[in-house]
Amino acid sequence: MKKHKLVSYAKWGYIFIAPFFIVYIIFQLIPLLSTFYYSFFENYRSGLNVIGPNFVGFDNYVTLFTPDKNGSIDIFTYFINTIIMWLMGAVPQLVFSLLLAVIFTGERLRIKGQGFFKTVIYMPNLIMAAAFAMLFFMLFSKVGPFNQFIMSSGGEAFDFFANKWTTRGIIAMINFLMWFGNTTILLMAGIMGIDQSLFEAASIDGATSWQVFYKITIPLLKPIMVYVAITSLIGGLQMFDVPQVIGTYLGSPNRSTMTMIMYLNNYLGTSKNYGMAGALSVIIFIITGILSVIVYKTMANDSGKKPKKAKKGA
Amino acid sequence: MAIKEQTIRNNENSKGKLIAARVVAYIFLILVTFLALFPLILLVLNSTHSNASLQAGFDPIPGGHFLINFETAWNDTALFTLPRSMLNSFIIAASSCILTSYFSAMTAYGIHVYDFKLKKFAFNFIMVIMTIPTQVAAVGFVQLVGKFNMTNTYWPLILPAIAAPSVFFYMKQYIESSLPMEVIEAARVDGSGEFMTFNAIALPMLKPAIAVQMIFAFVASWNNFFTPALVLSKSEMWTLPIVNATLRQKIQSQNCDIGEVYMMILLSIIPVVIVYIALSKHIVKGVALGAVKG
Amino acid sequence: MMKKKIFAAVLASAILMSVAGCTQDNGGNNDDGNQLETNGGAADTTTSAAESNGGGEVDNKTPHQVDTGYKLADDEGKVINIYCWNEDFKNYFEAYYKHPEGVDVNWVVNANDGGVYQQKLDEALFNQGDASADNKVDMFLAEADYIKKYASSDFTSALSYTPSSDIYSYTLNAATDVRNDQLKGLSFQAAPSVLIYRRSIAKDVLGTDDPNEVQKLLDSWDKFDAVAADAKAKGYIMTGCVEETLRCYTNNATSSFLSDSNEFQVPAEFTAWLQQAKSYVDNGYTLTCKRWDDEKSVQMGTDGKVMCFFGPAWYYNFCMGTAKEQTNGDWAVCVGPQEHFWGGTWLLKATGTDNAGLVEDIMKAFSENTEIIAQLWEQKSEFSCNKPMMEKYAADTSYGNDLLGGQNDAAIMAECAKNITWDPALHTQYDQTFQETLPGRMIEWFNGDPKTEEEAWSNFYKDLKTVAPDVVTPE
Repeated sequence: MKKHKLVSYAKWGYIFIAPFFIVYIIFQLIPLLSTFYYSFFENYRSGLNVIGPNFVGFDNYVTLFTPDKNGSIDIFTYFINTIIMWLMGAVPQLVFSLLLAVIFTGERLRIKGQGFFKTVIYMPNLIMAAAFAMLFFMLFSKVGPFNQFIMSSGGEAFDFFANKWTTRGIIAMINFLMWFGNTTILLMAGIMGIDQSLFEAASIDGATSWQVFYKITIPLLKPIMVYVAITSLIGGLQMFDVPQVIGTYLGSPNRSTMTMIMYLNNYLGTSKNYGMAGALSVIIFIITGILSVIVYKTMANDSGKKPKKAKKGA
Repeated sequence: MAIKEQTIRNNENSKGKLIAARVVAYIFLILVTFLALFPLILLVLNSTHSNASLQAGFDPIPGGHFLINFETAWNDTALFTLPRSMLNSFIIAASSCILTSYFSAMTAYGIHVYDFKLKKFAFNFIMVIMTIPTQVAAVGFVQLVGKFNMTNTYWPLILPAIAAPSVFFYMKQYIESSLPMEVIEAARVDGSGEFMTFNAIALPMLKPAIAVQMIFAFVASWNNFFTPALVLSKSEMWTLPIVNATLRQKIQSQNCDIGEVYMMILLSIIPVVIVYIALSKHIVKGVALGAVKG
Repeated sequence: MMKKKIFAAVLASAILMSVAGCTQDNGGNNDDGNQLETNGGAADTTTSAAESNGGGEVDNKTPHQVDTGYKLADDEGKVINIYCWNEDFKNYFEAYYKHPEGVDVNWVVNANDGGVYQQKLDEALFNQGDASADNKVDMFLAEADYIKKYASSDFTSALSYTPSSDIYSYTLNAATDVRNDQLKGLSFQAAPSVLIYRRSIAKDVLGTDDPNEVQKLLDSWDKFDAVAADAKAKGYIMTGCVEETLRCYTNNATSSFLSDSNEFQVPAEFTAWLQQAKSYVDNGYTLTCKRWDDEKSVQMGTDGKVMCFFGPAWYYNFCMGTAKEQTNGDWAVCVGPQEHFWGGTWLLKATGTDNAGLVEDIMKAFSENTEIIAQLWEQKSEFSCNKPMMEKYAADTSYGNDLLGGQNDAAIMAECAKNITWDPALHTQYDQTFQETLPGRMIEWFNGDPKTEEEAWSNFYKDLKTVAPDVVTPE
């Protein structure tokens, strides 16, 4: 029976996985490889004239890593922008979510209406990032509700989008709002996965809530927190929709909200600079690759925790 | 005696503490609830006001302009038509969520149920590609779409949904825990063909996982901005995220009706919010399920 | 209803006659300024209707479609695809032009923001060869800032007819291929840009709101700057945004932003603007926002403190909605410190179109059909490219614009329009980047982030590198 199955059913395995692989190869793998291939060519449009493709070796990479007059390298700047905006959203998010998760799972607190609270805090995650961003852009605009409020209480209108930190702060806030519910649910699952007898033992030993939290919950939750942080970072590196709407394609002000994907998107704009866009894609690919390896490593250390798809934005 | 008194005092003390802790917790939760709902509340509020009243200042009392704003937003043909964009978004999101969940289940089933030479390789391959951002293949993707003459069609936004590594992974996890091989073998004994077994026996057993992934896939596709913006240029093909990004230009045309813009934002998120409220239990469960399932 | 039908039929026949080449060049030299008048009895009927001071005034104030009587040629397609970046022309087209029966007009609108329009248009033009006849771009719109890119390319083709010599010549020069002098399209507008000031504030600051007097007090930048200080002292703001005066300078530039060897260079006029703009921001003479920010429109309302805006006739319609609602009549126009033009929309004929005849009929209708032109001006304040028509309005003492308290703006604009020139050597295919992105980067500097001018330039060079990889920048 078993042997029979091996012989006659193997082809079905291939048939069942074929659609996935065919589609993946056509729509992802080939584009990915051709993107890499293009990174070695000079190929763009000057107005309506197509330049190239001319093979240029690693020139595009050299250009990407050539410092400007002030000694800063654009791609690093945008990498750092991305990381800063991610951190500004992710750190408070982790703290908030941890607190919420502890409250929800607290044996003694026995919070009522958990279903309602969880439903509500997860909801922002479903809201279109572009719409979210557009809404906040209007709320904080110089003539929007916030400034109207400031002015009606005697203050002077503040141009939130002319200042690097307020602009980044607004972007981070949107990411925070969109993702804290998701993180809370993940952390809760983590806490509930902890052996309950540990908590019981601790409370018998007379440990305070704080001690339980600090000595048991946190250390045991570490792997999933690392996992949450890294998937969040991978998602954060793909940050695009929100800053694209808030800071526009220019990454205003002062290129401080330009993320790596926005930079990539700009090369795909009017100039259709496939060479540079290709090289940039390879760099983003490598960075994500490194982070993914770290995810797998943490997963391997903690076999119970498996990856979910990277969250976009935060 | 003294010890007993001490314990009682301790208990009373901790009871008082517990109540205090509860109060703090609820206050915190209410604050968080407000935080999460605040953008939506503001959006709904503002969509009930006329342009003039919005320019005059923020008004926490709902205005009577909701239906008028709805009508303007719905019938506005400048730059794009909202109903058409909603339809586009719906077609794309609905098709991709069906394709994603069906084919991911099928792939996971294929790898779980059958033994074949490349099984291990196939699985590892999918694990490796799982974290590759789709954006890094954009250059090649745009050219491919151009070559296949699929610019301004739904296809490049729907077909790739067949290959969704993370959904595959989720399905694989689920199948491992809830689809015993015996069931499949029993079906075979009964003379069921392989496809038949998958469609008629395995799929129904995977329903909960499929439901969760369909919702996620629908939302992800509904909200996707990067790829549609790359491959769609005709506004009649636009999806809602492109519409929302374009609203900035709408605001800049100074005769713009801000009430209408709020309404447009509201209309582009409301379908998902409704679906979510209806299915929220499964979704919240699904999020946890995908993350820690061992 | 019946009357309208007869009217349309009459008009159709009249225009058919003129299309057939009856006569065209008597527009400018008779009092009524109507080209169709001498075409015989049928045309006479039209004339009285289209004329603004006759009984037909009502007709020009009420939107109605004009039938040019054009019939599709046998080899023409039934679908016409028009690419544009907003609804303006589409609205005019739908309101005023009666297209032949059975033709599907397909508008492909893409926002101008971030160069998206050009991106999507370029995609379509590059695929023009592979597209089926009904999917080909037939006509597309272009702005002054990038018309050169398209007009001087093989993606546009020459018009088969010679437009009327009544059209302001600069609009034709702009649509001419610099490589072979072929005319590829035309604009339905001319865009002389003027100083639009708030009467009540002018009265307070200058002691007069009379356009002639105001012009005398503001006819040079020195005077303008001095008045800006006075306005500030009285609690007003001189200009509506940092970019308000930009086009006065840059559209009068004597060199382009690119050298012959494709190196980026800064025209002296841009530098002059930059100095002025910086000092205006530092002194509080201007709002610190950008051209299209909604902050500006608030300042056109009842409580507005801004005295001056600059803009062509299209500006009232698209940017002064608040003014029309709240401060109608409190405005006036004069030439200002420096004559200039700003913007303008051109219609270009795409190579490979299967509707060449229809495309040219549309162009002709919007540049020469007096009834359409009259409606455009009287209903939409669209200053036409048609010189005699606009001069007719300029000379018409009974005509006045309500927004401007009854002032005849055509008179001022017509004076400016005839002086506008277009030297192709001063324009580049990247002008949109130079005229919008560059000032935007400078405004970021004015507003405090970045801290130095040097950084602002450096930011711009990076923008330029992504848009135009082949341009040589100093960094």
